[in-house]
Amino acid sequence: MPDAIVCENLVKVYGGVIRAVDGVSLDVPEGEAFGLLGPNGAGKTTMVSILTTLVRPTSGRAIVDGLDVAKHPEEVRRRIGLAFQVSTADGELTGRENLEVAAGLQGIPAPEAHRRIRELLEQMQLAPAADRLVKGYSGGMRRRLELAVGVVHSPKILFLDEPTLGLDPQGRAGFWDYIRHLRKDTGVTLFLTTHYLEEADQLCERLAIVDHGKIVATGRPDELKQRTGGDTVVVKPSHGEDLAPILSAVPGALAVQVIAGAYRVKCDRGEAMVPLIVTACDRAGVEIASVEIRKPSLDEVFLELTGREYREEDTEHGGWASERLGQMRGGRP
Amino acid sequence: MLRELGALLRREWLRYIRTPVWIISSLLVPILYLILFGQGFNYPGGPAQYLGAPNYISYFAAGMVGFVALTMSLFSGANVIFDKGLGIVKRQAATPAPRSVIFLSPLIFRSLIALLPAFLVLGLAILLAHIPGFVGLTISGSVGVLGAFEIVIAVLVLALMFNALFLAFGFALESPQSYFGIVNLLNLPILFTSNALYPPGVGPDWLHQIAEYNPVSLCVNVLRENLFGSSSYYPYIPEVYLMGLLAWAAAFISLAVVLGRRALRTP
Repeated sequence: MPDAIVCENLVKVYGGVIRAVDGVSLDVPEGEAFGLLGPNGAGKTTMVSILTTLVRPTSGRAIVDGLDVAKHPEEVRRRIGLAFQVSTADGELTGRENLEVAAGLQGIPAPEAHRRIRELLEQMQLAPAADRLVKGYSGGMRRRLELAVGVVHSPKILFLDEPTLGLDPQGRAGFWDYIRHLRKDTGVTLFLTTHYLEEADQLCERLAIVDHGKIVATGRPDELKQRTGGDTVVVKPSHGEDLAPILSAVPGALAVQVIAGAYRVKCDRGEAMVPLIVTACDRAGVEIASVEIRKPSLDEVFLELTGREYREEDTEHGGWASERLGQMRGGRP
Repeated sequence: MLRELGALLRREWLRYIRTPVWIISSLLVPILYLILFGQGFNYPGGPAQYLGAPNYISYFAAGMVGFVALTMSLFSGANVIFDKGLGIVKRQAATPAPRSVIFLSPLIFRSLIALLPAFLVLGLAILLAHIPGFVGLTISGSVGVLGAFEIVIAVLVLALMFNALFLAFGFALESPQSYFGIVNLLNLPILFTSNALYPPGVGPDWLHQIAEYNPVSLCVNVLRENLFGSSSYYPYIPEVYLMGLLAWAAAFISLAVVLGRRALRTP
């Protein structure tokens, strides 16, 4: 398969100091669903902006469908579709009118545009609301319209920047279904960014985990999860005692790591480890505040690669997005 | 290019017709000015005082047409700022449509729309002259087809040049506050250094020097000289003023293109 997207040592520096994208190299074969996963502020949107010709890279190269984005932006724009993080539809226009304007901007002749728009409205279940003003649409409808606008010209490569930001879990699951159908029907190459771990896990064939503008790991979601090598038992002492010697001596403990005052014991099966750990601590006379089994997950991968909890990193940035992330994670099954 | 332009012009039109408050107020404000100020400021005097206009209201009403074309253009950049805030401009920039279309569509639409209230004022002023209890614009010249054509072109060019300028500010600036700061800074000085509202003889000489070259004055001169057939009060024929206006327009539109291109360039 030829590559739909290639990045070579891509760098974007804002204002001479902020390295939003810091030496990213990646390649996405045609037809793949590729995801950039990382906390807010990791540089994901800047990556999408570079690949969609909206921002010029400071250095490095980005090739989309065989074309250098810096040298042939117009040609690239013809081949790509884009759904922004925040809905860009015009609230004073109806859903259909928004799609008609989008089709016009892509240079699609009217009869063909009308046929395509009817089809898209059906697919996205927007047909009943097609002639209502978008300002009355729900969040989920706006996301679907944004996606429809992004694919009105049947692009070869589709970029989705945080496509389900702000949707409730049900809305998110529904949106994922649209994306799956779209991929099955059109074979479009998908490049999506998300800070929802579950979204990355559900939609992407391959992922790059990004942090502070750098890729810290790339692989299939299951590959990445295997990196954590089995279960992790997280033990917190009540009074900050050093548990490392005690935990290392427990039979079955493969490794012990300390991150933010919590001891992480690697093992094959967490369920079997917990009683052994509790007994060992009890014998040593150490009071335990909490014990927790963590199964392999992308949260764990992120934690081990960056040394920070995924959630913690996000709240550091504060603001509305972190609140949303908190809500989302609280609402996860 | 035409298909893309058509799509964006249609968007402008749809947005326009869906804001009835804006339509009504943009038509009502100049009418109120004409009725409230025009009637109230009806100073005595004849053609000698008012560059050939038979009375002050006739002089004032012709000036109002230029004034309305200017004020209508002041708002066009604000829409761009809101569109930018909503990601609509970014959405347009991500399509293969030429950048010039993104700038041209509001320019064309806004300039044409500005003609509506401008000529509504002219029509109403002419009508008022025939209503008892009101004073209005009396056409004392013989406006031919050429004269009428010159008048429409003059108002359109004035609307185009100011729309281009204020749209460029809209594309270049990020916040509505800074935009309205600029509008506030330029609006009244442009108006009050023109001869749109003040008859000659009022104010110091240096102000008259400026007023002679003010684009609003040049536009209004084309109107007055044609409407009042008063060539003896003007050193030049209307075509000369029209040429002057076109020169201004060329300069402003060039500036707007430079500003607009910079603003739409990929960062």
